[in-house]
This record gives sequence, structure tokens and C-alpha cells, in this order.
Amino acid sequence: MNKLEDMGTVITTDVLVLGAGGAGMCAALKASESNVDVLMVDKCGIGWNGQVPIGGGILAYVYPDYVKEWTEKVTRGSGFFNNQDWTQIMGEYMHRSMMDLVDMGLTFLKKDGEIDILTWGPNIHVTLFDAPKSLVALKKTAKSRAIRMMDKIYAIDLLKRDGKVVGAVGLGLVDGKTYIFNAKATIIATGNCGYMHEKTYSSVLGEGPAMGFRAGAQLVNAEFNSSYVWGIKALGKELIGIHFYLYLENAAGEKIMGKHYPELMVGSHAVYTFDPRVIDAMYKEVKAGLGPIYLNLKGLTMEEIDDLAEDQVEGLTHLMANDTMLLLKEKLGVDPTMEKMEMWPRYLYSGGGLRIDTGGRTTLEGLWAAGGSSSNSWSGGGGGQAGLGVQSAAITGFVAGENAAACAVKNRRYDIDAACAEEIIDRIKAPMQRKGEIDATEVTYRVHEAVVPMKYNRLREAGRMNEALGIIKDAREKLGRVGAADFHDLARYHSAESMAMAAEFTYRAALMREESRAGHFREDFPERDDKNWFKWITIESKDGTPHLATLPVPVEKYKLQP
Amino acid sequence: MTIRNFDRDKCTGCGICVAACPMDVLRLDENDGKAVIMYPKDCVACWGCESFCPQGCFDVSPERGRGELVSPY
Repeated sequence: MNKLEDMGTVITTDVLVLGAGGAGMCAALKASESNVDVLMVDKCGIGWNGQVPIGGGILAYVYPDYVKEWTEKVTRGSGFFNNQDWTQIMGEYMHRSMMDLVDMGLTFLKKDGEIDILTWGPNIHVTLFDAPKSLVALKKTAKSRAIRMMDKIYAIDLLKRDGKVVGAVGLGLVDGKTYIFNAKATIIATGNCGYMHEKTYSSVLGEGPAMGFRAGAQLVNAEFNSSYVWGIKALGKELIGIHFYLYLENAAGEKIMGKHYPELMVGSHAVYTFDPRVIDAMYKEVKAGLGPIYLNLKGLTMEEIDDLAEDQVEGLTHLMANDTMLLLKEKLGVDPTMEKMEMWPRYLYSGGGLRIDTGGRTTLEGLWAAGGSSSNSWSGGGGGQAGLGVQSAAITGFVAGENAAACAVKNRRYDIDAACAEEIIDRIKAPMQRKGEIDATEVTYRVHEAVVPMKYNRLREAGRMNEALGIIKDAREKLGRVGAADFHDLARYHSAESMAMAAEFTYRAALMREESRAGHFREDFPERDDKNWFKWITIESKDGTPHLATLPVPVEKYKLQP
Repeated sequence: MTIRNFDRDKCTGCGICVAACPMDVLRLDENDGKAVIMYPKDCVACWGCESFCPQGCFDVSPERGRGELVSPY
């Protein structure tokens, strides 16, 4: 057996944070307040990584005196399917989270010297921040707090000793070194899975949930929150704006939304880019042979187009729509006032994640999770209002960071078991031992064929989902024929594997849930079935294959009862 | 290759695109200090370089070299 030092560069720390996006950064900053040594590792360059800088810069906000009602609204809205303990934590933390982020260097939109809390609907509030520069600002604070940061390291697997997580293995993409991290507490904050399909959030590839699963941590809610958005096909980008839906038409030039949702044509409505009604109308039209779908803004002036983005929303969507129109002109030479543009639904993101308790702990000792990698059932499967993604990343990050640090203060560090490390490193590097017959990209394409079509992933049905699982099986077989010449190839191999795993988790859970609820719709079981399905679905590894089980929603323990 | 256009003349060598790339596709050239595409097939089309480049040097296509994305329909 090799010595640990011969297998790679060993780095020790108290709290290891894998992924330094919104959730990871918040976890690291919060952990540092307990005076522990904190190390953040990211495959990207920290400051420009993750989903927050590329998102809308929206942070959901709940006024402290409205928290009780908000919690009740979420609970009733989800049919009591949520984890009420977590919903309450989310509500109570919202104001504090914003103030903590201010202390940590984030700049919010201000009015008369105060943070401007905007109203986006009845009791729906948000604050806005400068998204592209947000992590750069937080990184500056992390630096001043002596948090260590390592860029361009692709973390692949966790290391365990006596059932407890004691660190992780990562590949140095630039220097070609193997890194062995040894920590008292480890936090996974690498997001969920964007499948590198189209252009938004495509850098998160399911690595965190996959490594947690392999180490034995439980996943939950994989069947929920798979999201489609509608966007400009040629641009590979969604279109933010609330009135654009009025200008969607089919190939015959008929307006489509009024046909399927006449109620949206009366009065004023805000129909966001995530609105499933638009996706469904597009799908119905195309299936009826009336596709493709276009956005026809011909004859409008640019000022009128700008106004379509805006309603009570101040500033932000206006700017983003403006940006998109500019991109259309610059990149594609398309003038939206003169030509119609083809639109289509885009599959954005998978749901679920590593199951966490109210302290951010996963089901594995020594392992915490935050942000998109984690799932705490706070919303009960629903999406909720704009800005909750960032708020959830921040809050789960703060909670995990605080608790992981507390554990690191109390406990000693366990050395890595060299035999265990060797086994895991051998698995990680196995593709380097074989001559590759196909490229990892082929596996990715196959995974896209399984997750992107709405007939599999939005209008779900047993037969079709089994077909999708067949495609995923084929993708995994192909993966077995992928080789690697260097760490770059290895990273692509492992990202293809984690994407295939994310897709499998989604469909296994979606097949098991024989009802329709929140964003999970089964054509063969179109009704909600509280009698049989008032429970969450968990996934755990049994000898490497996903084993599904159910966990009744413990509603009797919660404050609010149906 | 999903970076469909990289206008290297405009590049000032600030290194933001190199930092923003999650797959180490981009590096700074040792000779002229400007960004260079080192691992084109590793691009995941995350759009980071295009979004954050202060000079607007990049144009990323979502097509991933196949001409067509998998259709949602």
C-alpha cells in the first residue's frame, strides 16, 4: 500500500467547503466567525463561479413581522407537504441573512441611504444586488478573514473513516496534481445539476449530490423542482420579462396564450420566464403540428419592447430584457423590431439534493450540505417567489457553516485512512488505465436525450420514463468505454457520470411517486393522492445502486396541522 | 467547440475569463499575456467568459458542435 503523501498533495483544515458559489461562500464566511480554519475549493476561479453571478441578482425578502403569516402561507400552499421546521427557519432568517450579507460586503440597491425593499406582488418582496460582482465582493471579505481558497480543483469523491466523512479528493485541473483534503467537517455546496444544456447554470453538473450518494448520504425530493424556462432558441438564453407572453405565436401567426389560457388575456398579469403555463402552451401547439413558436415583436419600438419587461418591477427585468435585445442585435444580427424569433422551452435544472436536517447536517456524520446540493423540503416541492434560490443558498450556507464550525471546534481531526484513499483514487483514475473508444461528450448527449424532452420530464408517464431510464442506462454503458489521457478528460468523464446519476435519481423518484403534486406531473396519475403519497422519497446507495424509500411527512410534530 | 467567436485583438489579458471558466478551457498565454483557448472540447457553454469579459471578446454558442440541441418537444 502506498503512503498517503505518495498518492497526492495532502492539505488539512478544520472546515472544508466544496464549491464556493453563493451557498459555499456564505457557509465559509459564517464558519470563519467561529475562529476555525476554513478552506474553500472550487473548480472555477473563486469570485466568478457558481450560479449567483450569472443569475438575476434577486434576493427574496420577508418582513420580520410577516414571518408567521409567510410560514403559514407556504405551508398551506404546499398542502402541508413542506418541512415546517425549515420553512420557519427560512422565514426567520430572511432579514438576518440580508443584514449578514451586507456585513460581508454585498451591496444592495439603495433608496435614500437605506436598502430598497421592493414589492413584486401582494406580500412578495425582494431586494436587488449586483449579481456579476457579488461573489467578488464576498471573496474580498473571505480574504480579509484569512479563509483559504483554492481555485480550479475538481472535487470528485469524499473520504471516510469509520463511517465518518474526513475529507475529499480533488483533481487539480491546471497543475495536474491529485489533492487529498483532510478536514474535521466537510460541506458540499456545489449546486445540483444543470446538465450543461444551453447556457444558463450549465456549469453545475451534479457533482455534489453524486459524491454524497457514493459516500452513503441520503438524497431527497429528486422528483421535484425540475424546471423548464422559455427562451430564445438561437441565443440559448431565457427571456426575462412579464408581458412577452402576449406576443407568442405559432407558425400560422396565431397568438397562442389566449388559446390555452384565455384568463391571461383579461386584465394585467405577470407571467415570468419560469411560468409553466407558457411551456405547456408551447408544447400543445407544437404537438398539434402548429410549431415552431415565435416571439413576434414586429412593429414595436425598442421603448415599447422595454416596457413589456416591466411592471411593478423596478429596474431589474427592464435591464435584463434590454440586455437580451442587445445580445440579439450584436451576436446574431437580429433586430427584434423587424424579425420574429423562434422560442422554445429550455430544461434548466434538476431538483432535490442531499437531505439535510435543521442544522444543515446530511445523514452522514461529518458531512453538511447547502444550496442546490441540499434539499430540506422547506417549500414542499414548489418553486415559490423570485429570489428564493439565492436566499435559500445563503440561509442553508449560513446554517451549515455555523454548525460545521461548531463541530470542528469540539472535535479532533481524524487522519485519512490510506487504504480507503487509495481505493477511491484508483476508482477516480480508472478511466486513465483504459484506451477510450468514445468521448465523454457522447455520454452527455445521451443524457440530454433523456432529460430535455418534455414528454419524459414534464408530462411524466411510466412507460416514457422507463424509456428515459433506458437511455440513461445506455449512457452509463457508454461511460464504461470512455478513457482519459489527462485530468481534463477525467473531469469530463466524472461530470458525465454525475449528470447520468442526477438524471437517474430524477426518474427513479418520479416513477415511484404515483400521483401529481407541485412541479411533478404524472399523466397516468394526474391527481394529488394524500392517502398514499403524503411522504417524501429518499434515495440511498445500496452497493452503488439507488435504493428508494419513503419518509412520511411528520406533520403531527409540526406547528400547523391540516 | 462552443466558443464560436473569440476576438483576441480586443483582449487586454485581465484574466477574468480564465477565472470564470469552470473547466480550465482558457489560459493566459505566457508570451503575450492574452487569453488563449487551450481545451476547446472541455467547454460546457456556461457562458461565464461571455458574461464577464469586460471587452466583450467572447461569443458562446449553446450548440456544442452538433448543430442542434436536443429538442424539448
